[in-house]
Amino acid sequence: MQWTEQTETMIKALTETQKQLWTNWFDGMPGVSSPMPVSWGVATEGFKTWTAESEQVAKHVAEQLLASQEKMLRFLEISLRAWTAIASKTESGEDWPTALRSYTENLRQQLVQFPQEMQKAFQDTDELWRLYCEQWKGLVQPWAMSLRQTPWNFGQASTGNGSALMEMQKLYWDAYESTFGRMLASPTLGLTREINEDILKGFDAWLDYRRASFEYHVSLGETWTHAFEEFMRRLVALAEKGETVPSVKTLLQLWIEIVDQVFTDVFRSDEYIRIQGRLVNTATAYRLREREIVDACLKASHLASRSELDEAYRRIYDLRKDVKELKKALQGIKRESSAQAPQAADSGMPVDLPKDTA
Amino acid sequence: MIPFPLLRNPHETARELIDFNQKVLKGIENLGRIREQDIQVGASSKEEIYREDNLVLYRFTPMVEHPFRVPILIVYALVNRPYMVDLQEDRSLVRNLLKLGMDVYLIDWGYPGRGDRWLTLDDYINGYIENCVDVVRERHGGDPINVLSICQGGTLSLCYTALHPDKVKNLITMVTPVDFHVNEGLSNLWAGCDAGAKGMDIDALVDAFGNIPGEFMNLGFLMMKPFQLGVGKYLEMIDILDNEEKLRSFLRMEEWIFDSPDQAGETYRQFMKDFYQGNKLIKGEVKIGGKPVDLSKIRLPLLNIYAEQDHLVPPPSSIALGQYIGSSDYTLRSFPVGHIGMYVSGKVQRDLPPLIAQWVKERG
Repeated sequence: MQWTEQTETMIKALTETQKQLWTNWFDGMPGVSSPMPVSWGVATEGFKTWTAESEQVAKHVAEQLLASQEKMLRFLEISLRAWTAIASKTESGEDWPTALRSYTENLRQQLVQFPQEMQKAFQDTDELWRLYCEQWKGLVQPWAMSLRQTPWNFGQASTGNGSALMEMQKLYWDAYESTFGRMLASPTLGLTREINEDILKGFDAWLDYRRASFEYHVSLGETWTHAFEEFMRRLVALAEKGETVPSVKTLLQLWIEIVDQVFTDVFRSDEYIRIQGRLVNTATAYRLREREIVDACLKASHLASRSELDEAYRRIYDLRKDVKELKKALQGIKRESSAQAPQAADSGMPVDLPKDTA
Repeated sequence: MIPFPLLRNPHETARELIDFNQKVLKGIENLGRIREQDIQVGASSKEEIYREDNLVLYRFTPMVEHPFRVPILIVYALVNRPYMVDLQEDRSLVRNLLKLGMDVYLIDWGYPGRGDRWLTLDDYINGYIENCVDVVRERHGGDPINVLSICQGGTLSLCYTALHPDKVKNLITMVTPVDFHVNEGLSNLWAGCDAGAKGMDIDALVDAFGNIPGEFMNLGFLMMKPFQLGVGKYLEMIDILDNEEKLRSFLRMEEWIFDSPDQAGETYRQFMKDFYQGNKLIKGEVKIGGKPVDLSKIRLPLLNIYAEQDHLVPPPSSIALGQYIGSSDYTLRSFPVGHIGMYVSGKVQRDLPPLIAQWVKERG
């Protein structure tokens, strides 16, 4: 058998066998050529129990196990297909590093393509605002509805001319949205000035976070590509020496070792630390802005906010600390008095006992 | 023509996969039988002797009639749960110390809630540790005690001992970070030892989260070896799936790894900014409760143990301690394991407890 055909057959054997085993659990097993001396009834029951009733730790392990298997298969498939691409070019006379570079470039484009599509979105402010609002929809919609209705209610109560106020409000919103791009940096106007300011700051923070996230994913994509390249280089080196990898498991261990090393080297670099730092910092900055908006909404609905609870906890903490210190001081005084009392009794001197401060 | 350096026969590869899945099937049977109570941690019996807020101080039941007169108080890190030192019968530093005649106490920090967000390092060191030391001392005639401290617990204990040297007789530090600006450690780099706030803005993190979630800490640790810990570990698990006892051990470790308490916000803020980013401990610039921590004031006997393959606390970070303390009786020992291996490796379990017990007994 030509080894390229062999590779294709191997890919098929791996993926089809695994598919039969796990997706068509009970019925698939008799179809596999080698008989498996396992009690399928017990295994099936065990599988059901394992996934449905197991406590969190065992369930987590089960999920990780299946996820690992899936990753293993995907990786093997990619590796074998890459090998086919490289080797076929080698057969036609190109040197293998060039063939490898060409393949990894394709892989890089695939990995980076998604973030690049997001990059295009950054150029369209309306699209960005739509995405941001989608994020808030579920949380903010009820509050936004009531905020929109508040001026109308106010107008009804104060002037009796509710429809006029409604028109004014509608005018304000329409004007605001149509000039949104140019008005972003300007101080806002009107009754809802403060909340609008918070929302705009939240939007800016969210944009920063999205940009940082995009940069981070591009960096990871590049690292994945580099890791894959290193792995293929190692395989070529082994093949050129005439060495073989004795099992799929050993191949995977080799992959894990190489990929971990590549990622660790990247993780240490100043550039990665800068990128990761930016991601974490923009995410936390966005979370802070998010909380300001949520706090405003909670305040409007007579509910305690996170900030107010933190303030209360702070006061409790301070009081608790004071009480502990006082208790300690009291214990010290009582101890000293107890120590003094016998001495005073021996010497016949009167002892001033502390007044009860409880 | 370069052949792919794997098995050439696809049937052999498929056979390997089938064998692999046979093990998995056997493992499923075993996993289906195991329940949470089967992987309970904590092999040694203990009693609660003191409680304060979330903290509980335990005394382990001695295994000899007359334990060594100077007790050992174990101070663990805040980052993980302390039952790691007593995970199971054959992996228990505590049990082995008890067998060697030691009288062992342990601080269980508990799980900080949102109300603990304002706890500071001063509360932990001059509050909780100080109170636990006093309780143990009172039970043993008021004399100084031995302190066995692990990882971040070691850093806290160094600060405590520098501030209260009269209450500690002998100090043992295990895999303890002292010099936080060792660039070999990813944890140091990511915490901003070089990049400062640009690497991680600690103030923003604490302001945003309050308490730092345990999940955030777990993610950071996993990312240091993402493929080994996220994929490789579970592939290796396949080999033990058919062995119920080994599988239980694995599950106990899994429980401990992911059972991470939240970190009290203000404590995290000061620890990260002063220790990781500022490296103030070795500079003598750390202040706890307004008082400076001067490592040179530690003049009592000190045993410093580090792990040679530690990727979380690089060896130079621990070894640096010797340069800064004032003790003339300083012993440095190492084991050829990683950070976690220091607690669970069979070789360490065999050699470490006798090392500690003998060292402590020699110093009365």
